[in-house]
Amino acid sequence: MSKPLKDYRTWCLLLALIAMVVLFIYPSKQQKTPTYNYTFIIDITRSMNATDYQQDNQAVSRLHFVKQTLRELLRDLPCESKVGLGLFTERRSTLLFEPLEVCSAYTEIDTAIGKVDWRMAWAADSNIAKGLLSTLDMLKKSDSSVIFITDGQEAPPVNPNYQSDFSTVKGQAKGMIIGVGGLQAVPIPKFDSLGKQTGFYSHDDVPHRSSFGQSNLDPSQIKGYNARNAPFGSEAATGNEHLSALQETYLEKLAAESGLAYARLTDLQNLSVALQNPKLATEKVVRTDIRRQPALFALLLLCLVYLPKLPKYRLLS
Amino acid sequence: MNLAVNSPWALSGLLLALLPLFNSGMRTSPAPWLTLMPGDKLSVFVICCLRLCAMAAIAGLVLGMAGLHRTEQSRERIGHGAHIVLLLDRSSSMDNTFAGRAPNGSDESKATAARRLLTDFVEQRQNDLIGVAEYSTSPLFVMPLTENKNAVQAAIAATATPALGFTHVSKGLGMAISFFEQQPVTGSRIVLLVSDGAAAIDHDSEVKLREWFRKQQVRLYWIFLRTANSPGIFDQPEDSRDDNAAAMPERYLHKFFLGLGSPYQAYEAESPDALKQAIADINRLENLPMHYVERIPKQDLSGTCYSIASLLLLVLLGVKFFEVKR
Repeated sequence: MSKPLKDYRTWCLLLALIAMVVLFIYPSKQQKTPTYNYTFIIDITRSMNATDYQQDNQAVSRLHFVKQTLRELLRDLPCESKVGLGLFTERRSTLLFEPLEVCSAYTEIDTAIGKVDWRMAWAADSNIAKGLLSTLDMLKKSDSSVIFITDGQEAPPVNPNYQSDFSTVKGQAKGMIIGVGGLQAVPIPKFDSLGKQTGFYSHDDVPHRSSFGQSNLDPSQIKGYNARNAPFGSEAATGNEHLSALQETYLEKLAAESGLAYARLTDLQNLSVALQNPKLATEKVVRTDIRRQPALFALLLLCLVYLPKLPKYRLLS
Repeated sequence: MNLAVNSPWALSGLLLALLPLFNSGMRTSPAPWLTLMPGDKLSVFVICCLRLCAMAAIAGLVLGMAGLHRTEQSRERIGHGAHIVLLLDRSSSMDNTFAGRAPNGSDESKATAARRLLTDFVEQRQNDLIGVAEYSTSPLFVMPLTENKNAVQAAIAATATPALGFTHVSKGLGMAISFFEQQPVTGSRIVLLVSDGAAAIDHDSEVKLREWFRKQQVRLYWIFLRTANSPGIFDQPEDSRDDNAAAMPERYLHKFFLGLGSPYQAYEAESPDALKQAIADINRLENLPMHYVERIPKQDLSGTCYSIASLLLLVLLGVKFFEVKR
């Protein structure tokens, strides 16, 4: 055996070199990673302007918080995931763009989410059940998961006699309802045509019941009832519809009826956990770089060669 | 040359590159007294070189693991093209055919025809920056000016969903012009308005739009998808009492556009073929020289790092076999 082979350093260097050869032969491996395909439908009705979220010690509106959280979420999504965007108001939603791959179109998606504004609303009602139904109907053929982000504030309130029937879409669309807002009712800001806040909606500004069709109550219990002229009676409706809170039980009910999952938006962490629902993920084979492992091995061996000798201490006897 | 790494924390491993300074990595031979050995400049030089090799090899491995890359570079080039904002009408009537009926098997709706032809149009305009805005009762910001054609196509494809409300063209125009703010003025700036109807613009908006069009130097193309038997943009009123913006909004919008002072071209398309012609015209005309930014995608340099490190390792290993122990 020749002398260099007796030196452990030679063996270290040889092994390191072999590791590097392995590195160049197997630079990557195929790995299954979950990818997502979301279509975010953001509620842009007035109640989304209610400020009951805190960000950097400042009260921010629900819509602002939703936009901010979605933009942060966008950064964390794995490449090959897709994100589309739509808006909900009145009784239906519109799609702004179809799902786009997040890594190649990050700036575009980010800008578009940042530009979402309550003034994009084309009508002012907020009939969430109908909106959800039409959205699911519109997107049932797409393979994207519908993420319907709303505070559940129906304006005007829904008459239980005229509820949407989700049986046609149940089980066809997958997705989630994300509830936004605090559980404490807060006033809804009112803006003028230039976008300046001019106060809050007051009790007299909003309808407190739907006056469409027939009342769900027994006519004998309605004061001043007249089948043709006053189907809802003669008394003015009262209520707290000018205040808005997250209608969690209502949204949970809608979620159950439409076969979607429900989660409440409190922060980015909980949203991304909720959205990483395995039901919404599709496994895609992605090549992942594994060159680090042999490189680390080679590095350790190389360090071993050059490890400084520990000073030898003689035991004092 | 902008270098960056994927995982900055891994750079702390660069400290390991100092190790060869403390240890030559060679076996030592016992000598009774070092001063007895004659100084040898060549040996010193060789040892220095070997230590440098070792340091470089360690650094190479660490940089490779940290994921060294050259960041995305942009190079300014001059080509032909334009900045185009597609301003699409999403009012409900767009879902009808050119004959004004609900679409059936043989006739496509105005929205479908527009979508099909715009998709082709975007495909042909490779150098352009294209943005998308829509409007119905209120303007919708859809896609910022971008060179990502997939994104523009996705936005155009999304207009397949049912249309929305009314036609509020002035707000839509305002939003379309706002796309050009904070964009360099180069090549031509175009707003391509595709609509099937018009609406009266109030005086305040007229004043603002005039100012914005002038300030942003925007050219306007209006493709008016005319429904059969509806008033057109070039129609003259038969009765002078009808000669007002409320009765003939198309004619008055056209007049307003003519008076903008910026280049303006109107096309009245009564069928998908006429629409095709209009788009071909724009395609031909709008090819002014334009500065555009070519992106050179990020370049991974970790492979190079690993190769260099392997080469140095080979050198170090080779040198091992020249060691002599007495």
